[in-house]
Order: sequence, then C-alpha cells, then structure tokens
Amino acid sequence: MQAYLPCGVYHQQYSEDHAWWQTKFVWGKMILLGVLLFVVFPWFGGYYLGIMNSIGYTIMGALGVQLLIGFCGQITLGHAAFIAVGAYTSALMLLHIPESQAFWAVFLTKSGLLYPVSIVAAGIVGGLWSVLFGLPSAKVKGFYLIMTTMAAQFITVDFVITQYVAQIGGRGQAFSLPPGTIKIGPWEIDSDVKVYFLMVTLVILMTMAVANLMRSKTGRAWIAIRDNDIAAEAMGINIILYKLKAFFVAGFIAGVAGAFWISNLSAVSPEHFTWFWSLWLVGVILIGGFGSIHGTIFGSLFMVLVMELLQVIVGVLTPWFPSLSMNFLFLKESLFGLSICVFLIFEPNGLSYRWWQIKNYFNLWPFSY
Amino acid sequence: MPQGDNGRGIDYTIEPGLTLAKLFLKQYKKFGRNKVAMREKEFGIWRPITWEDYYRNVKYISLGLVSLGLEPGDKVSMIGDNRPQGLWAEMGAICAGGVGVWLFQDCLMEEVKYIIDHSDTKFLVGEGQEEVDKALAIRGSCPKLKKIIWDDPKGLRNYHDPMLISLEEVMKLGKKLEREDPDLFERMINQGKSEDVALLFYTSGTTSLPKGALLTHYNMLSMGRNMMRVDPCLPTDDFVSFLPFAWIGEQMMSISCGLMVGFTINFPEEPDVAGENIREIGPHTMFAPPRMYEQMVRTVQVKHLDAAPIKRAIYSWAMKTGYRAANLKFDKQPIPLSLSIANKIAYLLCFKKLRDHLGLSRIRNAYTGGAAMGPDHFRFFHSLGVNLKQIYGQTEIAGISVLHRTGHIKFDTVGTPIPETEIKITEDGEILAKSPSVFLGYYKNEEATRTTLVDGWLYSGDKGYIDDDGHLVVFDRSKDVMTLSDGKIFSPQFLETRIKFSPYIKDAWIIGDKRRYVTAVVCIDYAVVGKWADERNLNYTSYPELSQKIEVYELVSKQLQEVNKDLTRAAKIWKFVNLYKEFDADDDELTRTRKLRRAFVEQRYQDILTALYQDVETVHMDTNITYEDGRVSQIKTDLRILQLDI
Repeated sequence: MQAYLPCGVYHQQYSEDHAWWQTKFVWGKMILLGVLLFVVFPWFGGYYLGIMNSIGYTIMGALGVQLLIGFCGQITLGHAAFIAVGAYTSALMLLHIPESQAFWAVFLTKSGLLYPVSIVAAGIVGGLWSVLFGLPSAKVKGFYLIMTTMAAQFITVDFVITQYVAQIGGRGQAFSLPPGTIKIGPWEIDSDVKVYFLMVTLVILMTMAVANLMRSKTGRAWIAIRDNDIAAEAMGINIILYKLKAFFVAGFIAGVAGAFWISNLSAVSPEHFTWFWSLWLVGVILIGGFGSIHGTIFGSLFMVLVMELLQVIVGVLTPWFPSLSMNFLFLKESLFGLSICVFLIFEPNGLSYRWWQIKNYFNLWPFSY
Repeated sequence: MPQGDNGRGIDYTIEPGLTLAKLFLKQYKKFGRNKVAMREKEFGIWRPITWEDYYRNVKYISLGLVSLGLEPGDKVSMIGDNRPQGLWAEMGAICAGGVGVWLFQDCLMEEVKYIIDHSDTKFLVGEGQEEVDKALAIRGSCPKLKKIIWDDPKGLRNYHDPMLISLEEVMKLGKKLEREDPDLFERMINQGKSEDVALLFYTSGTTSLPKGALLTHYNMLSMGRNMMRVDPCLPTDDFVSFLPFAWIGEQMMSISCGLMVGFTINFPEEPDVAGENIREIGPHTMFAPPRMYEQMVRTVQVKHLDAAPIKRAIYSWAMKTGYRAANLKFDKQPIPLSLSIANKIAYLLCFKKLRDHLGLSRIRNAYTGGAAMGPDHFRFFHSLGVNLKQIYGQTEIAGISVLHRTGHIKFDTVGTPIPETEIKITEDGEILAKSPSVFLGYYKNEEATRTTLVDGWLYSGDKGYIDDDGHLVVFDRSKDVMTLSDGKIFSPQFLETRIKFSPYIKDAWIIGDKRRYVTAVVCIDYAVVGKWADERNLNYTSYPELSQKIEVYELVSKQLQEVNKDLTRAAKIWKFVNLYKEFDADDDELTRTRKLRRAFVEQRYQDILTALYQDVETVHMDTNITYEDGRVSQIKTDLRILQLDI
C-alpha cells in the first residue's frame, strides 16, 4: 500500500523513496510517540505499566503469528509452544550458567550480559524448534497444517517441557527465578518500569525488523506464497525454504517474547503457555487484521484493554453479582469468542482496515475517492 | 492562503548580443553541478539532472549535429513527449546556430509533412518508433530532410535505414568532434547574435494552413525578462513541463523563463500520469490552457457529487465563503473581518486539502492562456486562494503581451500589457501590439507578414477594447463575435465557457449570429454522464447512444437553464442538440490547442445548424469520423432537438 503523500513531496533517490518517515508531519508524530513511550508512560503507576507490559508481550507473540498467518499464509495454532521454548531456554541459562565455573560463564554472569545473551539464544532455539515443526508445511497446508501446529503445541508444552525440561535440576514444575538473576549489565530488572523499558525496546526492535523484512525480497516471497503458492513456485521462489524461513523468524520472535516474559514472572511454569494462549494470539491478529503490522498492535491493544475493562466492570458489579468474579475466566473466554464473531461478521478485515479507512477519510477530504 | 508575488527585485538585464545559447552557458557556469536543472520521473523517482549534465548533453548533441552537417540557420525539428532529451536537442540546435522547430506529437501525417517540408528541416529528432515511422513515411516528399534522429530504442531493433541515427550515436559523434576541437562549442555559442532566428514556430491557426513564425533570440529573451519583471520566479522554484513544447506557452516557461531564472523543470513519467506527477512536485508556477483548469474544476465537481454528506456540506459551505471573499476581492472591496475569519476556517477545513489534491499547494502564480476562460472557473480558483491569471498573447509576440497583475484581476479582461509592450486598438476594434518580442515575420510567407506586421505593430486579428482600468478586453477572433436578435454584440465563447462549467458538459458550440435566437450544440462528458446514467440504471453502450437518451437531454437542459438565468432574453439559449461525439482535433473541429474552429464546424454540421432553426424535433446525421491512426468511419444517426422553457 503506497503511503499517501501530500503535494510537493517527491524523491530524487530510492533511499528517500524507501524512507519510513517521509514528511515532517510523520516525523513529528513519531517523535511525539517516542516521547509518550519513553517519557510520559513510565510515569504511570505500576498497574498501568503492568497492563502495558502485557500489551507488549501480546504484540511480540502476535507478531510471529502475524508473520506466519498474515504474511506467509501458514496457519499456526501452536505459537505458545515456541514462546515456551524461549522462556525455558532463557530460564535454564539464567539458572545453570552461574553455577558453572568456566571462564566464559563467569564472565557472562559478572558482566550482566547473561540475560541479553539468553534472549538471543532463546530466539535461536525457539526459531530452530519452530523450523522443526514447520517441516510438515512442505507437504501439507491449510487445515492440515493447523493440525500439525497444534501437535507442536501439545508435544512441546505438554510433553517435552512438562515431562522433561521442567524436571531439569529437580526444581519441580515451576522454575522460580531468584531476585537479581535478571540483569542487563549493571541494571537489575526488578520493577515494572524496568520491565516496561525492556518491553518497549524489544517491541520497537521486533516491529522494525518485521516491517523491514516485509519489504525485502524475503517478505515479498512470503506474500507471494500466501497469495498463491503454486504461482510463487512457478516464479522461481523456493517455497519450502521460504516457508521454513518464516517459521524460523516467527519462532525467533516467539523465543524472544518468551525470554522477555520471564522478567515479568517470578516463576516459569508450563501453565503460562497453554494452547489457549496460541489461540488467543490468532484471535489478536484476526481482530487486528491479517497482513498488517498495525493490525498486530491494534489487536493486542484491543484484546488486553477490553479484558482489563471487563475486569474493572466485573469488580464494580461483584457486590451485586458475586458469581461474576468466580466465573471470570468463563466470562473472559466468552468475550473472546464474542469479539471474534463480531469482528468476523462486521469487520472481517480487522481494526487495521478500519484505521486505514479513517486515514483515507481524512486524506481524501473533502472527497470520497 | 492567497500568495502574492515574492517581489524580489531580481535584475533581468539583457546585455547586448545575448542569445539563448550564451545565457545557457552563463547559467551553466553559475550553477554547475550544484543545482538541479531538470528532473525526469523514471522508475518511480525523480532523477535529477544538474546543470552540468544538462550542459554536457546539449554540448554533445550540438557538436554531433554539427558533425552531421548542421550549418547555422538550418532547421532542426523535434517531435515527441515532454522529455529532457527533447529540450536538449532544441538547445543543441540553437547553440550550433540552428533553428528549432517543434511539432505537436499528435499531428497527423499531413501536418507533419507540411511543416517538415515548409520549414526546410534538415534533421528531425523524434522520440521513438512512432515518430520514426511518421518520418520515414514522409521523407519522400521532404527532400531536404537529411537525418532522422531517435532517442527511445523501443521497437526500433530492426530499423536499419541509413537515414536513421540514434541520439546516443549523435552524442558520440559530438564527443569525437570535441576531442578534435575542444573549443568549438563555446566558439559556436559566442558567434551567435541576438537578432538571429532561434525558433520557427508554426501557429495552429483557427483558420488556415499553419504559418511559421520566426522568433529571434532577442524576442524570446525579452519576453522572458518582461514576464519575470511582473511575476518573478526563483531559482528554487519547481516547474512541471507537461504541455506540448510545440505550444509557445511551454517554450515561454521552459526556455525563456527557465533559462533566465534557472528554476527546475520537471518532466512527468508519462503523459497519462502527468496529473499525479504534478501533484508530487507541487509546482510554484504553472501555465496551461483553460482546458487544463476546466478539467481540474470538473474533477472537483464530480468527486464532490460523490462525496459523503458531511464532506459535501463542508465543501459547499467553504466554497460559498470562498466565492464571497473572492468576489469582494475582484470588486476591490474590503473583506469584512467576519468573512475573512470564515474564509480562513474554510481554508483550513477544505481549500488546503483541495489544493493539495489538485497539486496547487505551493502555487504562487498560475496562468491560463491560449483561449478564453469562463468567469466561473476563474472565481473557483480564486476562492481557493490560487492566484490564477490570464495571459494574452500570440506566437507572433513570443507568447505574451498582456497579463493580469496580482490584486488587479478582472475575469472579463486579460490584464494590462507587460513592460516594454504597447497595446493599441484600431478604429474597427482590432488589437495591435508592439514590443521587443514581436517576431521577424512568417517563414516563406511575405504576404501574411505584410498584413500582420506593419511598422513594428503586430495585427493580432483579435477584437477588443481597453476598459476604464486600462485592462484589455479581448473578444474572440473578429469573425467569432456574434450579433444577437436585439442587435447587441455578444461573445459565443463567453456562453460556451459558462456552459462548460457544468461537470456534465465537456464542450459546447453556441450558434446565434444574426439569427432569431441562440442555440447550442452540446458534447456531454462521457465519463461523468455515464456514471450518472449508471446510478440511474440507464442502459447505454456508446457515446452516441448515451447522448441521445431523453433523460440525458433533461439533465443537460437543467444545466442550460442554470446558465440562462443570468442572461438577457436575446442571449438565452432556446434550443440545443446533444452531439453524438466529442469535438476532436483529429476531425479538425478543434485546433491542436483545443480551440473550436467555428467556421469548420459550421460547415461540417450544416444539417444540425439548419434543423435548429426549423420547427423539427430530430435531425438526421450522416458523417465521417477520423480515428487517431487516420482511419475513417461513417456514422449515421438521428439527433434529438430539445427546446428549453424560457
């Protein structure tokens, strides 16, 4: 979609033509957003920062799902598995490397680089694990791929992680992370504000990476595969390679998201990465809009905020309807189902499409086309 | 917001002996590689061409032409789209002492042959295969033509005619010559004299065969200078060159003013996307025939009709405010504070965006010329705050003699003479002009020169008068003025432009000279009326069928009634007929600059003319239409005649 440019903006170089922000107005908006994200929001209290952190986590999780479903057409219902792989990779590294006396281990622990390195490692392990379960996509697609990705969820989380990985070190189901384990350099991530800054940084990096990937050769190949895999293959795209690349990148993002999320958790356990969370992420991009990075963000905002709102409403109504707070989980799932139904019926292209229409409404002012 | 002149007193002196070529050299030395001389949109970006690139290309083309045998005074013809290469070839010819001739790209074979032969063209620079084909077809009857130069290789792989040579080859020859004689180019430039002929321009002529007007360097330079004295441009300005170079107005901007000021000339990617490309650039100055502005208004009106109710309401309110402010401005009355505030709000709510859509965000001065423009169109642009001005001039006076001044715009006049220009009206009302830009004479047409050029005065053949404010008012060509039944003199063009303000009507031809009543032949706008018909579930398959629908007749009659409201009884339109086709330059109904050739259509549509003044309801037509490739087909149809209630 070519961005709408005002009259008098023209480019003499391709680099200008490809710039993300081409007008002063957009630069202004972005600076404002930066100020909001880095200066204004951190002043908000812990409760709001907690919400924002879960929004950020949802964005990172949904970004990978968006990449697979929205950009590459590979429907996945097992994304939480890769988040779990990332979370466990990072947690295991954080717990076990400090115990080692090897030079590199001591260096990593002392310098505070362990957590950053573990995030990258989590991404790589998550990516490779994802590629493993992406292999069936070479043969199957559509409905059958949903089944194989669901299998990834159950094999990974319910079998491998619960039965084996979680038993490492004999800590029982949950890995509790002692305070002070999660450090970036000298900076110990022990408060919501610090988690928030880590989240904002990661979300910006991930979003930029995906947005840039989408306008590269790889991104175009993914879109070609999504739109018509046979035609894409006929055009000379190695579709298996590109599908696996998509699985890798999606798994990488998931791994990073998982590694990030442990900073917000006191203990890591398989219950954090249920199949419902995979489904939830698909719901997020469905509401946000397939094939749109904006959509990922809008969907995450919508889902988290609506659920928070629900909690507030339930809190207000509890004195009159005590059963509401007991059945909160049930309510939440009903609302999730309901929003998906409503969106599929009334706004099948998601919030990003609505956003696009609103922008167009004003860009085309005072006309309609 | 209305933008005035920048008012910078740049000195535009012309030193004795200055030529276009010398000015070109001077500007190159001044700007060099630090300034972009032109841009061409190619593969999605505006590729810059600096003055150094410009200079180098012109030099090699010029020397290449010399090594092919160009002598001073030889004619080099150019035909093609607006591309930098065209301008380089023209400058190349001029620098070598040659004379540039431009042809309209959509000229039919006959016209091309006539001009090439009549101008004694030695080299023809065509853009691509189409032009090469034309040139090859006519070379038999143009013995003086030596070489055909092409630029775009598309489709030319199997053309091995020895007469053909690519522009690249010409430039290679030029490079070779430069190695042998490095100073030759500057020597050639310095040999030029300002009274040498620089351009030979064929007037499109509403009446007869094209006549070639000889314009000297001094003509072009003084015209550019005097124009810039009125409305100075800045070197940082952008200008979009999208109108045919064969139109004097485009030469005026791209060559005279462009060289004088050194603003950047931008070339669109393709003619089809010129509109979008103009919007991207957002030019600071613009000169186009009324047709272009009419098209803008039409686009706005049509889109407005389809807009959502809120947007429509805001637009309507804003336009009303804008019109009120513009009318007060035209009447030179003070604008009350309340209206001025309302106008500012209207600007923010609507005009700003509207100008952005039209590509007029940065426009400082917009000019229209070549034909009359309706007052409604004028008012429209001024209500948006676009400083639209009328230019009056002819090819024979290098394009411009009279111009509106900022703040003194009257839409029924064409303004006051530019500096160094005198205007005089003869006893029978003909407009005469005298200025340093008046041409030398017609090429190989002594007789026409003698009647047009007397004692340095240019006899324009237009009628007009000078009003109380010293503004020149131009009627149409002398024979285009009509006398109404009540004996009053009336301009049919005025009525036609009023009618054309309706988005549904593309063209109109008003008849009524010395007749009992006024009638109109209307060409509907196929796209707009077609859409209108679609919305009402009216079936149609073609323009002729759509134009003859009774519903369409009713639609048109409503538009005409609207125009009739403000007219005296004798000037009201009584009857009209929807024509089965649009007027077209290929059928000789319009000139290449899209002026109606009244005498010709009168003869061609004799049957309609007669029927309009008889008591009949239909008229049978049996005519030929010419397609762009020269094919002719026959059309037989019955046209409805509708009488309006008055």
